[in-house]
Amino acid sequence: MSSIQEDDDLVFRKICSLIEPLNDKGVKLTRETDLIADLEIDSVAVLDVVMDIEDNYDISIPVNTISEIKTIGELVDAIHAIKKEQT
Amino acid sequence: MSLFDKFKPTATMYYALRDEIGRDPFGVSMDEMKGPTRALVDGKEIVLAGTNNYLGLTYEESAVAATIKAVEQSGTGTTGSRFANGTYAAHRQLEIDLAAYLGYKHCIVFSTGYQANLGAISALAQAPDDVILIDADSHACIYDGCQLSGAETIRFRHNDPESLEKRLQRLGENVKGKLVCFEGMYSMFGDTAPVKELVEVAHKYGAYALLDEAHSFGVFGENGRGICEHDEVLDQVDFYTGTFSKSLASIGGFVASNHDELEYLRFSSRPYMFTASPSPANIAAASAALKKISSDQSMRVQLWENAKRVHAAFTQLGFDLCAPCSPVIAVRMKSRDQAFKAWNFLMDNGVYVNLAIPPGTPNATSILRLSVSSAHTTEDLDIVINAYGALAEKLSGELKDD
Repeated sequence: MSSIQEDDDLVFRKICSLIEPLNDKGVKLTRETDLIADLEIDSVAVLDVVMDIEDNYDISIPVNTISEIKTIGELVDAIHAIKKEQT
Repeated sequence: MSLFDKFKPTATMYYALRDEIGRDPFGVSMDEMKGPTRALVDGKEIVLAGTNNYLGLTYEESAVAATIKAVEQSGTGTTGSRFANGTYAAHRQLEIDLAAYLGYKHCIVFSTGYQANLGAISALAQAPDDVILIDADSHACIYDGCQLSGAETIRFRHNDPESLEKRLQRLGENVKGKLVCFEGMYSMFGDTAPVKELVEVAHKYGAYALLDEAHSFGVFGENGRGICEHDEVLDQVDFYTGTFSKSLASIGGFVASNHDELEYLRFSSRPYMFTASPSPANIAAASAALKKISSDQSMRVQLWENAKRVHAAFTQLGFDLCAPCSPVIAVRMKSRDQAFKAWNFLMDNGVYVNLAIPPGTPNATSILRLSVSSAHTTEDLDIVINAYGALAEKLSGELKDD
């Protein structure tokens, strides 16, 4: 496993741990899970999860980016892209 | 795939709750107004405790007279934008009066408070060079202003100067302009911002501070100039935005500033340029109300007395309140279902408050939002407190598990 993949996995698991408290329906979380359609989390709750992610990774994720993110996988990718840019 | 499919989950939830309680919390019609704090709804007189009419000036005699006179003299509508034929002498005069009252050099009047924030934010910050930092619990018009601007927008934790500071530190060096937006008193919970600290952090990093005092104008500060007056940083705020539709009992909005460049908004702010200006009636009413609050502190004194009475009574009743005492007193409900039923129970007992549910509220909370008015009489508040007293019993009984 390359370090990028390892990191990717860690980010994915971190996001899952932050989302799990909102996963009332007990949906199995994968990279393809749609935050709003599958988990029925409202748009404001998504923003609040993102705030936790921002503080965890010490990055800022613009609202403009979040509004384009649908799935957990896309969120993982966005975090990588921003980490690269901001560090 | 229909255009309307996306609304179905919300519509299904909303209509089911509406039908269950037999009343529409988001479609109440005040069939006949009976004064600043009373209305007939479905043939029954209700105490209005969800209005934003903080200083109770909707029937202020001098404002009513000035409004009638303005309509007779200047007509019912301006039929044009501020940028074209919609600026009358009264619009200019109100800008001068507002600037004088607040102690700023400049002021621009918009058609609504929503448009004042929309117009200021979207014009001031532009993609791709500028960045906007907003309090996470900001009003929809601040979010919409960011969207219209297209500039990169970053949220900081609600009322948290440290969280703002971290985000300002993270910004790269390519950022040209930085605009930090937050409010004085937040409309849903009635909590107030650490305005002084937020302004200081913004300035420390070379950012401009935009403060929305929509709900705190007329309410806070020694002269009613808002939280920034109370925090003694009024002259530090770069852009002060406000509305006529709360304490000034009209409709319209404004942006005030000491920056001479504020005038640039008049030819660059789309929500200023491409909508009709406030009607002569709206301007006359706001002007008269501003005169009234400039010369008479008694409404604000009464407002706070009323707020303290209600807040103390609700605390005693054991309600889960969202914030320390302010004219907005929000009670946290356990669930959306419970909130709908509790709201309906208050209506049955002659009291209208605002039902607020996620995503319109912070932290996915469902609340009953009450706003106190200086025009509430002792009897009005007796009715309100009695209704809440009965509700408290209901919540520990029949509605406990909703």
